[in-house]
Amino acid sequence: MHEQSIERTGAVKPLLQGRPSRSIWQTIRQKGSLYLFLIPTIIFLLIFMYYPAFTAVRLSFYQWDGFGPERWVGLRNFERLFTNSVMLSSINNMLILTIARILIVLTTPLLAAELVFHLMSDRWKYWYRVIFVIPLVIPDVVTYLLWQFIFNPSVGLANVLLNNLGLSFLSNEWLGSHRTVLLSLALVGFPWIAGINFLIYLAGLQNIPREVLDAAAVDGATGFRRFWLVDVKLIMGQIKLLLILSIIFSLQAFVLILIMTNGGPGYSSMVPGLLMYEAAFQDGRFGYACAIGTAIFVVIFVLTYINMRYIQPETEHSPS
Amino acid sequence: MRSKAFRHDLPLHVVLIILGIITFYPLIFTLFTSFKDNSQFYSTFWGPAWPLHWGNYADAWRQLYPVLINTVFVGLVSAFGTIFLASLSAYVFARHRFPGHDLLFYAIIALLMIPGVLTLIPLFLLVKDLGLLNTYWVLILPYIAGGQAFAIFVLRSFIASQPEEIFESARIDGANEFTIYQRIAMPMAKPILGTLAILALLGTWNDYIWPSVTLRNPELWTISLKLVSFSSQWASLQQYGPMFAGYVIASIPLLILFMFTMRLFIEGLASGAIKA
Repeated sequence: MHEQSIERTGAVKPLLQGRPSRSIWQTIRQKGSLYLFLIPTIIFLLIFMYYPAFTAVRLSFYQWDGFGPERWVGLRNFERLFTNSVMLSSINNMLILTIARILIVLTTPLLAAELVFHLMSDRWKYWYRVIFVIPLVIPDVVTYLLWQFIFNPSVGLANVLLNNLGLSFLSNEWLGSHRTVLLSLALVGFPWIAGINFLIYLAGLQNIPREVLDAAAVDGATGFRRFWLVDVKLIMGQIKLLLILSIIFSLQAFVLILIMTNGGPGYSSMVPGLLMYEAAFQDGRFGYACAIGTAIFVVIFVLTYINMRYIQPETEHSPS
Repeated sequence: MRSKAFRHDLPLHVVLIILGIITFYPLIFTLFTSFKDNSQFYSTFWGPAWPLHWGNYADAWRQLYPVLINTVFVGLVSAFGTIFLASLSAYVFARHRFPGHDLLFYAIIALLMIPGVLTLIPLFLLVKDLGLLNTYWVLILPYIAGGQAFAIFVLRSFIASQPEEIFESARIDGANEFTIYQRIAMPMAKPILGTLAILALLGTWNDYIWPSVTLRNPELWTISLKLVSFSSQWASLQQYGPMFAGYVIASIPLLILFMFTMRLFIEGLASGAIKA
């Protein structure tokens, strides 16, 4: 695909094919100045991306406090991931939050995108799109702190609302209780419409060819039947993409939890990413921390591979 | 015709407006509360209250404006650096073939698969060894590096789609590569450069983890980092007015940017999803 796009626009001169006798070194000398364009990027990436990435994998086989000598421990750091009870319960929490995220991605953003898509007025379509993008511009930290306030047991919106509605028996400690903390974290952003998910669903729906929708209408597919048999089928690519993206996001997301609960109360909202952060920056166990990071990376890598190999090709679209 | 469309749309509007109100009420609540003193906060919890207490904004502004300046400075420098380096690379990848072209290109694009959690700790150890802790560079340099893969990926396909004739005629006129890059490729790529700059700025604005581990000196902090301690300080005093005024202050610059660059913003966010 890469070569094609260059050839189509004629950027490629028949450099190598035309003059087979030319040695590769001559070509490099002739094109030498081009490499100067790449050097800054390459230096930055070697220092700040490649080197740290390799160091992370290497350090995960060592025990290291950040100062003294590194001690080779083989796979011991990784064994801990499967035996340490805090780690296991943090994996469990992560899975619960990931499942919640999946359920969310599949419901309200899709519903909202459907509703906007079916509006007859194009002007309103445009405005709803703009309106539901605005919350994305609010800084992440503001959103987290705002939701932390919403769950404040004494002055937060959640409990005040429940009390005002006469439902005070439902009011709760929210983030402060191990029974409700994961539920509360999953509720952040309710009703979860404003976001990338909505935009991608809507773009997918708007890409459905007019003829397909007309044909469906002629065949009498309306309402829920049409949604299920036509729309969902045709945006399956977007649905799969968003599923993978939200799983990948959930596996490494821990800033929300760091800010809102710091993994508490106790360890009841702890996730592996936050354990990694604590292992490194509070306990100085850099080897173990890197092992956690490496393990998360491997899982993400496999998912990304599945995504690119089996899911992305169908939804290939160029960002306009 | 118009009324028929309206009748068709009405039930959809009802649901969408309800969803919109639930989505936006927390933000409206933030705005209301940012103008209240404590007694207004308790007496009129849900709605606005008069008189408006602008003093809350003065209190919050005094604490936040130094970090806002830091954030804008770091954000602009990193955005410029990211785009400058990435556009140089993207230009040669898009308009030239040379030995190692594909190898280098894929070696850069492959970095899109490296998540921040993998590099966080070794990167910290690296900048510590380089003596960069507690400087602006500790943010700027990794931000520039971290932005390369995505920016090159997007820019390359954009520059590759520019018509070859213009480049050809410039070459015939004897323009050198840098001139062609600077005078032809870049001006035509302006919209996408704008989108990438906005994404880079958003990234700096939102980053919490990296500044929190690399900046001990509060004078260098960026807005996300400062806002957390700012917030817990006012919350512990149970002074919610200034706290919410701070949230508004932290959000306003991006909202203004959004209003002026709405189209770039929406495209950027949609394409940014692929990055995340």
